[in-house]
Amino acid sequence: MTKERFAKGGIIKYVVLVLIVIFIVILMLYTSGSSKPFEEIRQSVASVLDKSNLKEKDEASFKRNTGLNAADYSGVMYYASESNLSAEEVLLIRVRSGSQIQEVRETLEARIDSCISDFDGYVPEEVKLLEEAVLNVRGNYIFFAVAPKAEEYLEAFRNSL
Amino acid sequence: MLFSSITFLFLFLPVVLAVYYLVPWKVKNIALLIASLFFYAWGEPVYVVLMVLSILLNYFCARDIKENENEPVKAKFNVVFAVAVNLFILGFFKYYGFLLDTINAVFSTEIAYRELPLPVGISFYTFQAISYIVDIYRGKAQPQKNILYFALYISMFPQLIAGPIVRYEDIEAQLKHRRLSLQRLGQGAMYFIIGLAKKTVIANSVGAVFEQISEMPAGSLSVLTAWLGAFSYAFQIYFDFSGYSDMAVGLGKMFGFEFKKNFDYPYISKSVTEFWRRWHISLSTWFREYVYIPLGGNRCSVSRNIFNLMVVWVLTGMWHGAAWNFIAWGVYYGVILVMEKYVWGASLDMLPNPMRHIYTGIMVLVGWVLFFSPSLGYALRYLGAMIGGGTGIVDNQGAFLLFGHWLLYLLAVLGSSSLGMRLVNAVPRMARSARAQAAVSVVIYMGIFVISVAFLVTDTFNPFLYFRF
Repeated sequence: MTKERFAKGGIIKYVVLVLIVIFIVILMLYTSGSSKPFEEIRQSVASVLDKSNLKEKDEASFKRNTGLNAADYSGVMYYASESNLSAEEVLLIRVRSGSQIQEVRETLEARIDSCISDFDGYVPEEVKLLEEAVLNVRGNYIFFAVAPKAEEYLEAFRNSL
Repeated sequence: MLFSSITFLFLFLPVVLAVYYLVPWKVKNIALLIASLFFYAWGEPVYVVLMVLSILLNYFCARDIKENENEPVKAKFNVVFAVAVNLFILGFFKYYGFLLDTINAVFSTEIAYRELPLPVGISFYTFQAISYIVDIYRGKAQPQKNILYFALYISMFPQLIAGPIVRYEDIEAQLKHRRLSLQRLGQGAMYFIIGLAKKTVIANSVGAVFEQISEMPAGSLSVLTAWLGAFSYAFQIYFDFSGYSDMAVGLGKMFGFEFKKNFDYPYISKSVTEFWRRWHISLSTWFREYVYIPLGGNRCSVSRNIFNLMVVWVLTGMWHGAAWNFIAWGVYYGVILVMEKYVWGASLDMLPNPMRHIYTGIMVLVGWVLFFSPSLGYALRYLGAMIGGGTGIVDNQGAFLLFGHWLLYLLAVLGSSSLGMRLVNAVPRMARSARAQAAVSVVIYMGIFVISVAFLVTDTFNPFLYFRF
C-alpha cells in the first residue's frame, strides 16, 4: 500500500514537471514582452495614435502628471491631451526590472481614480473613458491608454511585440 | 509587497499578526501560509502558480528520495532530477535572455525573443528548495509529511523574496514546535524597526547621492566624486540588504521563528576572506555546503582547491544576475580569495590593523564598482576616475555632495559597526530601574519608527536592491 502510494508520488513529480513546462509556455504566449528595442515598439504604437487630441509630452510633464521619474525606466513614451477638459493619454513604459511593474501599475490605477474624481460630475464622457482605460503588462512593457480608440492602440502594442 | 511600504506596515502586518496570535496552534502554520501566498501574489499574482508548482515538485521528489534511500541509484537519480528541474526553472527565468543576448553579440545575429520579468525571490526560494532536497538525500533531515508545512518553509513571507536563505535542517523543528511570547514579539519588533530605519533613513538617502553620481559620465568624475559614489553605493547596498535581513529576522521572531543572522558588520573586516564570512552569510553558507564541499572543498590538491574556489565564485557572481559584470565580479572575488589563501594572506596578517582595514575597504569598493556598473567598459572608466583619470582630484559637485551629506555619512559609518547599536542601546541603560530602562527603550524605538515612516512617506518608490536577484 505504502509502495503504491509512493509509486504514485513518483509519477506526480513528472506530472508537475509537465505542468511547469505548460505554465511557462502559457506565460510566453500571453504575458511575455519582447527583446526588440524600445524605439521599435514606440514607433509602432505612436504610428497608430490619433494625434488630433494627443501630443507627445516631455519627461517633466510625465513626472508632473504621474509622479514617476522617466530616468528610472529604460524607455518611456507619453502622449497626453493639451486640454484640461480631456482625460486622454497614452503611455508606454519599459521597466528595468520586474520589481518596478507593481510600482507603475499602482501609480496608474491611482491616477485613474484621481482623474475620475476630478472629472466626475461635469465631464461624464471623460469619466466613461477613464472607466474603460486599458492597462496591460507584457514582460517588461507596460501599456496604458485612456482614449476612445484605447482597444485599437492596445492591439497595435500587442502586435508590435 | 514591500516591508517598507505603508500598506505592509499599517495594514498587512497588523492584520496578519492579529489573526496569527488569535487562531489556535493547529492552524497557525496555515494562517501564515495563506498570508505568505497573499503577500507574494500582491505584486505578481501569476508567479504564485510557479511557486506552488515548485513546492509540489520538491515535496514529491523529497518523498521519492526517502522512499528509495536503500536503492542508491534510484535515490541519486531522484536528487539529480529534482536539482536539475529547480535549476532549469531558475535558469530559464534568469538566464535565457542573457544567453540569447550573448549569442546575438558574439555572432552578430538579431534573434528577437519574448522577455519575461524575473519572478521576485526565485533565486532565494529555489536555493531553499535545493537545500531541502539535498538535506533529505544526505539524511540530515526527514521529508516533511505535511505539504502545508513544506509550502510554508518555501513561501514564508518574512524571508521569501530577499532571504536570508533558510536551510531546511535549521527550521525543520520550528515548523512543528516554536515559542511565542510577548518578549519575543518585542525583540522582533526592535529588529524590524532597526531594519526599517536602515532602509528608509540611510540606504535610500545614500542611494539618492549614488544615483546623482551614477548619472554623470564616468569619465567626467573627479577623484573625490568617484570615491564618494563608490562609498555611497557600498553604504546603500549594505543598509538596504542588511536592513531587509534585519526586518526578516524580526518578523520571524514575531511569528516564533529564529533565523540565523545574515550580516555581521562586514565593513569592519580586516581581509576580504573575513568580509565574505560576514556578508550575506546565508548565501556563502549555501555555496559552501552544496557546492564547495561536494566539489572537494580544501581537502585536495592546491590546484583543485583553486578550481573549487573559482567555480563557487563564478556561480556566486551568476547568482546575483545575468550579466557579464556580475560574472567579472565573481571572478574578481575568486581571484582575491585565492590570493589571500595562497599568496599574500600570511603577509596581510602581519600588517597593522588600520592597513588591513584600508586594504579590505579598497578591495571591496573596487568590487562594488564592478557590481553596479552597467557594463565592463563603464566599470573600467569609473575605476580610472577613482585614480585620477577623470577630471581632476576635487570638483564642486563632489565637495557639495560630501559637505551637504556629512551627517548621513557619519550615521552610515556608525551603523556599519557595532558602535551604532551600542549607542542606541546605551541610552536606556542610563535609567536606574529595569522598568525605566524598558520605558526609555520603547520611546527610542518608537522614535526611530516614526522617523523611518516620515522618510518613507516623503520618499519616492524604492524597491530593495536584492529584489532583482
